[in-house]
Amino acid sequence: MKRLSIFILSIIMVATAVSAESFLKDVKQFLKPWRVDVHLGYEIGGTAPLGMPASIRKLNKFSLTPNLLLGLDAHRQLSGRWGIMTGIHFENKGMSIDATVKNYNMEITRGGQTLGGRFTGRVTTDVTAWMFTLPVQATFDVSDKVQLKLGPYVSYLTNRNFSGYAYDGYLRVGDPTGEKVELGNQAGERGDYDFSSHVRRCQWGIALGADWHITKRFGAFADLNWGLSGLHKSDFKTVEQTLYPIYGAIGLSYRLR
Amino acid sequence: MKKSIALFALAIPLVFTSCFKDEPLNTECDIEQVILHSTAADKVFFNPSDTIQEVLFTDSVVSVNVRSGAPLETVTPEFKLTPGATLKCIEGDIALGKATYMVTSEDGNWNRRYVVSLIPTAVTVNDTLAFDLEHFELDPTYHKFYIWHNLLADGSLGNDWATGNGGFKLSMSTAQPDDYPTVPIVGMDGYAVKLTTRDTGPFGVMVNKRIASGNMFLGSFDVANALKDAMKATRFGIPFDKKPTKLTGYYKYKRGATYQDINGKPVSGKTDNGDIYAVFYRNHDAAGNPVTLYGDDVKTNPNIVAMASVTPIQVTDEWTYFDVVFNYSKELDPAVLESRGYSLTIVFSSSIDGAIFQGAVGSELCVDKVRLICTREE
Repeated sequence: MKRLSIFILSIIMVATAVSAESFLKDVKQFLKPWRVDVHLGYEIGGTAPLGMPASIRKLNKFSLTPNLLLGLDAHRQLSGRWGIMTGIHFENKGMSIDATVKNYNMEITRGGQTLGGRFTGRVTTDVTAWMFTLPVQATFDVSDKVQLKLGPYVSYLTNRNFSGYAYDGYLRVGDPTGEKVELGNQAGERGDYDFSSHVRRCQWGIALGADWHITKRFGAFADLNWGLSGLHKSDFKTVEQTLYPIYGAIGLSYRLR
Repeated sequence: MKKSIALFALAIPLVFTSCFKDEPLNTECDIEQVILHSTAADKVFFNPSDTIQEVLFTDSVVSVNVRSGAPLETVTPEFKLTPGATLKCIEGDIALGKATYMVTSEDGNWNRRYVVSLIPTAVTVNDTLAFDLEHFELDPTYHKFYIWHNLLADGSLGNDWATGNGGFKLSMSTAQPDDYPTVPIVGMDGYAVKLTTRDTGPFGVMVNKRIASGNMFLGSFDVANALKDAMKATRFGIPFDKKPTKLTGYYKYKRGATYQDINGKPVSGKTDNGDIYAVFYRNHDAAGNPVTLYGDDVKTNPNIVAMASVTPIQVTDEWTYFDVVFNYSKELDPAVLESRGYSLTIVFSSSIDGAIFQGAVGSELCVDKVRLICTREE
């Protein structure tokens, strides 16, 4: 019995070695036409409604957040000037804004209790969305050095935050004829909210951009990532407008092969 | 390429700033202030400051006490409305003492109805005023919590009793009327009031106001300040024209198990206490400006002329009689008294430190058959 199993095991090992060798060869053959670049960039943009609602009156502050992008992309020339690019990116599409609103629909929910209505005053919102993104893009060489790219992407969020507070204003509870409740700007006087758990894990959109290969190894890039899926799950109605992540990225690239 | 990157970077902030729409029209439709002009103001009003009536955002009834036999036909009202709103008299005439107004928001989509009354006020005749706490109903707007009315000398119902129930509603939207801090119960005969110190739940934690003591007082409760400046939410006192000498009534008291500080931390060795007291104060300063006592100065304001306090409140599950006298620290001015220049508040609270959000959840004070005994000024 023991001898038999050793025999079978030897056959499997030999077979594996042979197939692994041919598999590696296949992979090498497949990878040969692909060029691989590392991208390191910074994203700036916002998670915003398409067309600002009239209830948002003014943007008081827009703070930069650590919106880093680290990507590994593979590109293959297909025919003529056309090619295909794909890869994996790890990135944050975050923002921190402070806006003045008028008669803005809002709701705070905590432990099953709800306080909502129309708020006039200031709202601070912090968004953090670290995600893995898989783009698939068609590329077009404008010249030897410049390449345009366009295509869809899908993202999976590993870390999500959508929170903030309403302050220095007042809430009309329920509707504009409801009780007026003044909100101050100190903790305990303002209305904190946290809708992080309502943020979608999976997002998708369209990316458009350009790569500029300055030297053989180094290059620069600029992308515009236009989210087509709303930030929040569709059953979430508290934030009346659907918010779309629209971020531009600029950065440097380094060719690995 | 460099140029296009630069353009691109420029375009991003533009996406956010270029698309602000025109300011929407206002949706609010409140009377914030009623200013009563009269060519014979001294014959109509008790005090010049009575001509300016601040209206709470929760109020839709504005009652102004005027001298009996006042020439009301001399009165013309002026209204301060929320910006853009318009007002129309839809019923009655203020020159006849009562009018109903409809206020419509600037955008035309919202309206509120207000009743403004000028109530000729006779001198208080009875030496003993009874507060039996028999008249209550669910708040007319939401039907969520109880409000109380006092019985006036002519048999009509006044709105002089206030509670913090409207503030509790902000924190506990799902609470049933009987879950509120101030509720009616069956009393000695008829009804009594039960005040319970309640936990304000997750919202209370958010705004660091973790408990709501049950309270009831003569005055008004301004929900607008309930979060930002809670001490200013309780506005104590109603004008009163007799000299109060004694406060009597019946109570029951039960302490909640654990006294907690403002951060919700138990304080070992400390027990909760109920509070029953009355304050009589001059309602104008030397310059003639109106004075109101709030949560932070109801026992300390220099305008106070007399106080009566039930101390200590005993823990008891039997109706217990109390009978306390007003201690006067200042002489009363009969002319000021006649022109309703003094105000009175009577306050019941299930937690003595409830105003600063300290006390024991579950503390319970029941009150019934309150009497205010006054002397006739010679």
